[in-house]
Parts: sequence; C-alpha cells; structure tokens
Amino acid sequence: MTFRSRDAAPADALLTDRYLEALLAGDRRGDAPADSALDPAVREASTRLRRDLVRVHPSFRFEERLAARLAEAARSMRLAAAAGAEGHAATVPFPLGELSRRMAEEDEQTPGFPRPLLIGGAITSAALSLAGAAFVAWRRTHPPARGRSPMARAIRAVHPGRRPASRIGLV
Amino acid sequence: MARPVLGRVSGRTSTPSRVTHLDRDRSLVEAARRDPERFEALYRRYLAQVYSYAYYELGDHHRAEDATERTFLAALTGLDRFEERARPADGEGASTFRVWLFQIARNTVANERRAARRHPTTDLSAAAIVPDPLDVEAGVALRDEAAAAWRAVGRLPADRRRALVLRFVEEMSTAEIAGVLGRSEGAVRVLIHRSLRAVGRELRGEPR
Repeated sequence: MTFRSRDAAPADALLTDRYLEALLAGDRRGDAPADSALDPAVREASTRLRRDLVRVHPSFRFEERLAARLAEAARSMRLAAAAGAEGHAATVPFPLGELSRRMAEEDEQTPGFPRPLLIGGAITSAALSLAGAAFVAWRRTHPPARGRSPMARAIRAVHPGRRPASRIGLV
Repeated sequence: MARPVLGRVSGRTSTPSRVTHLDRDRSLVEAARRDPERFEALYRRYLAQVYSYAYYELGDHHRAEDATERTFLAALTGLDRFEERARPADGEGASTFRVWLFQIARNTVANERRAARRHPTTDLSAAAIVPDPLDVEAGVALRDEAAAAWRAVGRLPADRRRALVLRFVEEMSTAEIAGVLGRSEGAVRVLIHRSLRAVGRELRGEPR
C-alpha cells in the first residue's frame, strides 16, 4: 500500500459510508445515487450484499421454547428479589414427594420412635442466648450492691442462720 | 428506520436544559428492570437479529440456537449492569441496548467457537459432509449468486466479515458497529470500505 492510498482511505471510506446509508435506507432491490468518485467495485459489492445477505429467522419452535425458558428465569429472579436476596437465584424444586415417601417408610420401620422437632428449639435457644448476653451486658454496667442483690436476699431468706464468711473469721 | 426518541434533561441548578438522544429501547429496558418478565418484548424484538448474527458467524443452526439462548439469558440476568450511553453521534434510531446485546452475542459466539475447537463432536469421516462454518451455502440454500457473494464474504478475515454482517444483515450504523467491535467509527468505516472493495473485486473475478 502506498502512502497516497493510505491517506485516501478515510476519505474513500466516508464516501462509501454515505452511499451505504442511502442504500440501506432504501428498498432492498434498488440502488442509491452514488458519488462518481465511489469505487465501482465497492458499489457493486454493496448492492449485491444488500440483496443477498438476508436476515435468518429461527424456527417458531425454538422461539417459543426460549421464550418459555426466559419467562421461567424471569420468575425466579422476581421471586429472589421479593425475598430480598441479592444477585440472582434460581428456584430449585424441593423433592417433597420423595421426602414424604422416605419418612413414611422410616415410620413403618421404627414405630413409635419420637421424631425430634428442631425448629422451635433452635429459635428458643437463640432467644435465650440473646437475652443472656443482654443481661450480662446490663449487669456489667450496673454492679449489684454488696449483699443487697435479690439473690443474696433469697439466700438469706432460705438460710436465715447462715452468716457471711467474713463474720466467722474464715476470710 | 425508527424515529429517535428525544428527551429533555434539565439540570438541578444553573445547568441549562439540553436535548439528549435517548436509547430507542429505554422504555422496554426500564419495564424489564422493574419486572423481569417484561424482558420478553426485548427478546421478541431482537431474536431474529441475534440469531442471524450467530448463524452467519457459526454457519450451523443448532450452534446458532445455543449461542442465541446463552446471549438472551445473559442479557436477562445482567440487565442491571446495562448502562445507557446514548450519544447524538450514535445516529437516529440507535439503540445502545442493541449494542450491548450484540457485545454479549459477540462474546458468546467467540466462546462457542472456542468450545467447538476444544471439543470437536464429529470425526474426520463425518467432517466431510458437515458444512464449513464459513460456508452457509448448504444451510441457507441461497441462489448461486447469493452463494457466490457469501463465499466472497466468507473468505474475508473475521473482523471484516463481522463488520459486513453487522452492516448489511443487522443494518447497524457505523457508530453501533464501532460499539460492538470496540473500535473507533473511523476504523470501522475503513474496515467496511476495504472489505467491500475486496468482495467487489472477487465478484468481478479480479485479484483482491
């Protein structure tokens, strides 16, 4: 390629671009007015490709199958968004029928065996833990007066004769 | 060609109001963001375009279907990441969503090509009857002239062939093609011009 042709390329390309704009805006089988400076080979190739490079449509079956798949994915995304999840999640069907069948089989094999219920216990445990942590935090900021705590009063009520260790000279 | 959508964007303080060229698909994209099931409208609008692009690139209906499916699923799940960057230079009726969608399609097709190279599914005896990916003559059953035109296009380097397909099959503007291919508009214009010159000379029986 010479320096001259390299320099001329953008100008020629612009000319081609203008011609293509007019050609593609018109009828598929028609031509468009072109600048006399336009390369005849470019013009011929353009009209041929305009006529022969057609858009291909997929089969109706494929179109509907993909539409159904996209709708399913969209429903999953909406459910995930409604649940407050971040990102994207897909719903996985829970095998409830299979699980029920296996549980029934186990029940038959071990009649009367108590099935532990974990859910309520876990919630209760968590609540107690939170309450305990809150009480400890509160107690650290509110130290009890010596001997006047409810626990001390309760011990004295149960054992009225008991005296503190300091009074009997042990400490 | 669809009419451009114009919207008035006014500044909050002293910025004067200005007219901005908006994405042709803005309303559909916003609806799909609010409710993913509304993505179907975008899917129906661009299905044939994406499928055509994949088919011209891969030369096989099944592989084109796979690439099309992956493209739309990726677009649906990644719609939140789409940013509208429409400019007046994008031309009338331009859609940056379409550019974004074709960027996904381009990557998907490239992955499909790589996967096909890594995991060939036909043996050598069968390969003789499988059409070449660039030779869509057998699949489309074009007329002789059309087949000759496509053969000339198919012999071009990949970037030139891709640019011609986007220009003539998808009827994209130079700005849109530049967005899809990640090149400047000037580079795309020169690419198309040289591709057409090469195809024209081959159709005339001249050396390229």
